[in-house]
Amino acid sequence: MSWYPGDLIPYLPQILLGLWVSIYISVLSFLAGSALGLVAYRAKAGQSATLRRISSAYIEVVRNVPLLVVLYLIYFGLGQFGINLDPLWSALIALTINNGAYVAEILRAGFDSVPQGLREAAQALGMNSRQTFRYVVFTPGIRRVFPALTNQFILLFLFSSVASVIALPELTNALMTVNSNTLRTFEVFALGALLYYAVSSVLAIGSRVGEKRLFRW
Amino acid sequence: MGDYLQYLPPLARGAGMTVILCLIVAVAGSLLGFGIGLARASSIGVLRWISAIYTNFLRGIPLLIILLFTYFALPLLIPGAVFSQLESGAIGLTLFVSAYIAEVVRGSIESVPQGQYEAAEALGLGFFNKFRYVIVPQAMRVMVPPWVGILLAMIKDSSLVSVIGFVDLTQAGKIVGTTTMQPLLIFVFVGAVYFFICYPLGRFGRWYETRLSISLARTPDALQVLVPAISDLIGSEPSSDLGGKQ
Amino acid sequence: MISVRDLHKSFGKVEVLKGMSCEIAAQEVVCLIGPSGSGKSTFLRCLNLLESITAGSVIINGHDLRDPKLDKIVVRKDVGMVFQQFNLFPHMKVLDNVMLAPMKVGKRARGATELKARELLEKVGLSDKADAYPSALSGGQQQRVAIARALAMDPTVMLFDEPTSALDPETVGDVLEVMKRLAEEGMTMVVVSHEMGFAREVADRVIFMDEGVIVEEGKPTEMFDAPRLERTRAFLRRVS
Repeated sequence: MSWYPGDLIPYLPQILLGLWVSIYISVLSFLAGSALGLVAYRAKAGQSATLRRISSAYIEVVRNVPLLVVLYLIYFGLGQFGINLDPLWSALIALTINNGAYVAEILRAGFDSVPQGLREAAQALGMNSRQTFRYVVFTPGIRRVFPALTNQFILLFLFSSVASVIALPELTNALMTVNSNTLRTFEVFALGALLYYAVSSVLAIGSRVGEKRLFRW
Repeated sequence: MGDYLQYLPPLARGAGMTVILCLIVAVAGSLLGFGIGLARASSIGVLRWISAIYTNFLRGIPLLIILLFTYFALPLLIPGAVFSQLESGAIGLTLFVSAYIAEVVRGSIESVPQGQYEAAEALGLGFFNKFRYVIVPQAMRVMVPPWVGILLAMIKDSSLVSVIGFVDLTQAGKIVGTTTMQPLLIFVFVGAVYFFICYPLGRFGRWYETRLSISLARTPDALQVLVPAISDLIGSEPSSDLGGKQ
Repeated sequence: MISVRDLHKSFGKVEVLKGMSCEIAAQEVVCLIGPSGSGKSTFLRCLNLLESITAGSVIINGHDLRDPKLDKIVVRKDVGMVFQQFNLFPHMKVLDNVMLAPMKVGKRARGATELKARELLEKVGLSDKADAYPSALSGGQQQRVAIARALAMDPTVMLFDEPTSALDPETVGDVLEVMKRLAEEGMTMVVVSHEMGFAREVADRVIFMDEGVIVEEGKPTEMFDAPRLERTRAFLRRVS
């Protein structure tokens, strides 16, 4: 079998643009999803029984339903109500919803593992539960699950490829387009795999370095 | 609502295909993953190295890329090979899952305390027996919850096989949804089916994990674990004073 | 100051405190001794409502701890606590550990709080560690910071739950020194401890607890040299 990687060169800008879109939607969804996850965690750990139930239901549904189905629900399903979201918004919302549930569980593991003694010390000093969480539980909790959180981001980045099925021009979609244009299937997908691998490796290394830098205590 | 019942068969067929695919991948992926995991944990440098590249790479790229590659690109490498959608999906998903299972297997083997290896060797157990009777059984217990977690994720990830055209539950849902112009209803139904397949598995995994942490807290020390295992091996009575400790 | 009448505390079906009564006057230093499981720590933790009270009455500085309308925070501002495991906040520098509660709970201004915090660190002998993180400090140093942190809230009562039990023997002395000076300055202190030397030297009163009740109490000299009850004698024999 012969190799013609050179045929891809004119398409490199398109592919790199796709990579940029993948990174872009991953970052946005991760930030929004983490905020959502924090809210879901607080609801689940909070006083109101209704909020606890809603939050648990949200987390369980997302953990047991494929991302692709959620994406189709948003992209195709909402169209029935006249809400026609474009691929970008559909992808962002689906990824955010998906990420939020997993982040909520990661946060739960982190915050629940903060030693009870720290909480008691805060209470003994007169702090109420919101202050205790914000000043004493939050930072040590995040520290404990920092690797899990960065791993979640990497997973999100890899699964952002799912958005290609609704024609969002992210990396996988770009690869499929270039493939149909050049028919250099092997070279295209090999390049794609290498690009994804490079980014996820950089993120993994960055996570280890970041952990040491951010948490010097 | 009644006219939608005609769409139940294709959806059921799709669900059936999902189940078949998942069963194949669960078995193949676990076997392959177990083997690679042992290689990852072994003391033979070359084996560790190669399996490390395998798991590292496969976990660092999207499943969709693996599937697209398997379906479109792999046949080009092997002249005359054509993979059906089921075959490509199964191969791709198996490779993907095996990498994660391999890491779990490695982690669980490495979690067995060094003391166990030493006690086994002190009792004269050779390489194979040591692993078979002492290390692997202990590793197995720890392995179950993450392994169940991976299989659960695999059931959801199997939905991506629909992208290469395989008519699994998700693809059936997409076809029926667009045909009936009721995508919301259909996809909610599809989601519910996945939910009822996955949720019990998740509950089992969590139950097992709770049980496991209780039993790990009561784990006896090396000798008490080894003596019954060895007496099974060599078919003799355990010596009386050690027997008394049980 | 502190008035306890027939205090009962149960955890589910298990009754840990079975009717304790005592009065602690202002500026008094009271040491609680007794075997493990006797309920000493539980009693202490009832005093600042870390544990709820099942029955009986506890009144601290006029606050009735059983009043459902009582805001726990009001009590806790008045009652400081030092824990066996120090419980310093690991992600904050020592100075910030001391400053956190006065600013967020007491709503005091940063400038004044910092001044006070540095004074307190000076008082416990650790002003040079103000910018260090707890992980860089020894156990004894961490405990002294914990004392400063509790003092920053200007409590009228200080509770000590086995403050030196988790420390290496070399550092125990430094912490006891600080506690001794605190007592000399007139702080009301309730101390659960195994340090009999400290009790003998510093305490105004020693209370011996066993199985959830007060068995005997009295001045240190009475308790250590001539205990009335055999149970007390037996315990003291075991620990010396």
